[in-house]
Order: sequence, then C-alpha cells, then structure tokens
Amino acid sequence: MKEVCFFLGAIGCLGGAIAVIGLRNPFYSVLALIVHLISLAGLFLLLQAEFLAAAQIVVYAGAVMVLYVFVAAYVGNVEESLWEPIPGQRWIAPLLGLALFAELSIAIIGSGLKSLDTEGPTVELGFGSPEAIGRLMLERFLIAFEAASLLLLIAAIGAVVLAARRRESAPPGVQPGGEHVDSQPGSPAGIPERAAG
Amino acid sequence: MIPLAEVGFVEATWVMVVKSVLIFLLVFLIVPVLTVAERKLIGRFQNRYGPNRVGPMGLLQPLADIMKLAGKEMFRPSGAVPLLFAIAPALVIFSGIVTLAIIPFGNVQEGIGLYGIDVSIGVLYFFAFGSLSFYGLLLAGWSSGSKYSFLGSMRSAAQLISYEVSMGLSLLGGVMMAGSLSLTSIVEAQDEIWFIVPQFVGFLIFMVAGFAETNRAPFDLPEADAELVQGYMTEYGGMRFGSYLLAEYLEMFVVSAIAVTFFLGGWMGPGPGWLDPVWMIAKVLTLIFFFIWVRATLPRLRYDQLMSLGWKIMLPLATLNVLVTAILVTVL
Repeated sequence: MKEVCFFLGAIGCLGGAIAVIGLRNPFYSVLALIVHLISLAGLFLLLQAEFLAAAQIVVYAGAVMVLYVFVAAYVGNVEESLWEPIPGQRWIAPLLGLALFAELSIAIIGSGLKSLDTEGPTVELGFGSPEAIGRLMLERFLIAFEAASLLLLIAAIGAVVLAARRRESAPPGVQPGGEHVDSQPGSPAGIPERAAG
Repeated sequence: MIPLAEVGFVEATWVMVVKSVLIFLLVFLIVPVLTVAERKLIGRFQNRYGPNRVGPMGLLQPLADIMKLAGKEMFRPSGAVPLLFAIAPALVIFSGIVTLAIIPFGNVQEGIGLYGIDVSIGVLYFFAFGSLSFYGLLLAGWSSGSKYSFLGSMRSAAQLISYEVSMGLSLLGGVMMAGSLSLTSIVEAQDEIWFIVPQFVGFLIFMVAGFAETNRAPFDLPEADAELVQGYMTEYGGMRFGSYLLAEYLEMFVVSAIAVTFFLGGWMGPGPGWLDPVWMIAKVLTLIFFFIWVRATLPRLRYDQLMSLGWKIMLPLATLNVLVTAILVTVL
C-alpha cells in the first residue's frame, strides 16, 4: 500500500515536472505544475508531514498557482519569438541544469542517503506537527523567520508603491490601474477557441 | 500499514468504510432537501408559493429535477477542451465531499467517532481542498471556450483569492483559544462558552467570507445570471450542470458546518449523547436558512465593491481580530 502510494506520487511528480517544460501551451504547463505540487504533497503525507502537505497545497497549489493560472489564462498563447531572447540560452541552460544536478547529488549523497539500508532516520514523536514547526520557526530560527517576513513586507509595500506611481502617470483615457484595458476587442487570447486556430 | 495521515485514534477498517458510505449517503440526502427548501423559502420570501405540484406540497420536486437533468444531453461546445471540460465538475464535487469527512457530528461514542476522520491539521484540510475546488471553477470556465464562462471563472479566481485570506484569519482566533487545530478539540473547548461570544468579529468575517467562497448571493458575481448567463457553467448541460448545483449546496453545507464547529459549539446541546448529531444538523440547517434568507434579501455587489470590501475592510478587521485575540489569550 505504502509502495503503491509512493509510486503514484512519484509518477505524478516526475510526469508533472516533465510536462511543465515539455508542453507548448503555457496554460497546460501551469496545470502540469499544479499536478506536480499536489503529488509532492502526497509524498509529504507518506512521510507523516501532514502540516507540510496541507501548507504545500494551500500556499503553492492554492494561492501561488492561482495567480499563475490567472496570468496564463489572460495572456494566453503569446506568439513565441523567432529568435532566442537570451543568446546562447540553448547551450547554457542544460549546462546549468547539469551543474544543479551535480550539486544536489553531492548534497543528498553526503547527508540523506546515510539512512538508506537502515531502519530509517530516527524521528521523535510529533516531528513535523504544527506545534513542532511553530517552535522551530519562532524559537530556533526566529531571526531567519523575521527576516523573511520583513522581505515579504518590503515586497508588498513595493508593489503598492509601483501600482500607485503607474496610476498617477497614466494618460487620460486609460483606466486607472491599467490592467482592465483590453487592447484587442476580440476574445482573451487564452481561451482554447483561439488557441486552436 | 502506516496511516496516510495522523488521526486522533485508530479505528477498524470496516468502521472507516461504513463511515465513508454514510458520508456519501448524507450528500445525496442533504442536497435534494436543500434544493427544495431553498426554492420553497425563496418563494415565500417573494410572496409566492414556490414549487407545489410534484408530490405532496411539492416535496418530490428535487426528484423530478434530477430526472430531468439526467435525461438531458451532456452537451459540449466544439471549442471546448474535452478532457478538462469533463474533469472540472468532478473536481468540484470531489473536494466538496472530501471536506465533509472532517466535520464532527459528535464526539467519540462507544469507540466510534461520529466524524469521518479527525486529522491533526484539522482546519487546514478544509482550506487545502477548498483551494482545489477552485480549479474546478477555473478549468470549467477556461475549457468551455466561451467568453461568458471565461469571464465568470476569472471573476471567481479574483474573488476566491481575496476572501480566502480573511476566511483563514477569522478562524485563527478560535484556533488560538482552543489551542488546537483539530475540529473535535475546538468543539470541546467550547464547553463553557460558545466561541461566538468572544469571537463575534471572527464569526461575522467568516460568514461574509463564506458567502463569497461559496459564490452565494450577494457575492454571486461568477455566476451573475443577468450579465454572464451563469458564468463558468454556461456551457454545461445535463448532469454535469447538475453536479455544479450539487457542489454549490454541498459547499454551503460544509461552510455552515465549519461555522457551527468553530463558533456555535458544534454538537454541544442539552440532552443525552445520542442527540449530538441532531444538534449539529439543526444548527447547520439554521445557518443554511440564513444563507437562503440573505440570498432573498440583498442585491448583488459590483465588482469593485466586492474587492474593496474584501481587501480594505475584511482583511484589516480579521488581522486586528487575530492580534487582539493573541494578546488576550497570552495575558489571560
């Protein structure tokens, strides 16, 4: 049962991740990413990390990906440019990917794989529960936690400031905010009718 | 076998199976009752009879509705994406039924908990599946290949993100007072006083956000039948359309049940233990009556009103509520 669940989750994870970069339509890529994140949450459940799994779904699959879907559905199929926006990307990207793979392999083999072929890591009761994670965040890693929240606060204020500045400088005739102005009176580019044609 | 999630206590497998079947039956019992109740009540509110032709006092109306929907063609527009178009309604129903599993209808009696599962993450489970149900709406709107559907689903996207935050924060007060995320512990913490008294602001915010999350009037902008012809479900027909209706009533039930659990003392009530589920269901039905009452009373909001209410009033109020509760819980 456990093995079946693991392989279902793993297939969902890998399949989703491959589909994200493999699919042409950005909307489907975003959907594949959601499948990937949900499968990952399933793997967290297998590791007894319910809180992490729920947070994964609420924050990533729920909130972050909603914004992605929103943008992908509105902007839709942007015509792919005929030239490479970043010159040499075709060659640099696989190299960077390989480098990341090597780095992760070193990190994993160096630490995590020690518990392979044993009974597994010793984990005390309540590990990964909401209480334990709360204690870690607000006691042991308080400074890092506060720094992260400060960073988010700065980003939020920055977004508000940028939006306000754009509203002031918008020429008359453009709606305040500017987002709702549809330059093409036709259908939103994302909906499939257009994507097929 | 390692349990898939940490639960309060372990039950035999057959008990779990029986419970799952019961929860499933509850869904098919509750939704027809709610549809006929809503139509009857709305009729009364509008000074007319409501359905009264099918069966005694029109009580068999839902049966006739279901027969009609099941007999209709499940039409699919030529511009639609077939797979997503079929998955979307299933996703909505799935997440609705799955959240029903954590609603406690009573405490542990004779070794059997009167709830589906008591997960330690409790209310986060509700939010996790709530955010999945959203994709049901969005995929429906997008895959239909229709502008009305697309606009409806985009509206629902913006609406759900805006109100989900306040909804989560409004429940945090109750979580802090009970010191637990588990729904059964939260009900037990209300032994002395129902949380609606100390958490009245939280209750108000939760109910308003609940109306928005279930797409009920006055927040039914995603459907807005006057301007969007039912929004994201415009292109659906037959039982697929029916399943969106089913999901709407299901979500209404779940949100009411969560509100009862967090603020109205859950299953608590005078009388012997076997009355607990009755109390729970009675309280939930009262809240659903309130949902229907509001639908018959208030006009639909404009889109900008919806957004400014969500971000400028609800969110600061919910944050303030959390802050004050946190301080009081620590001091007292």
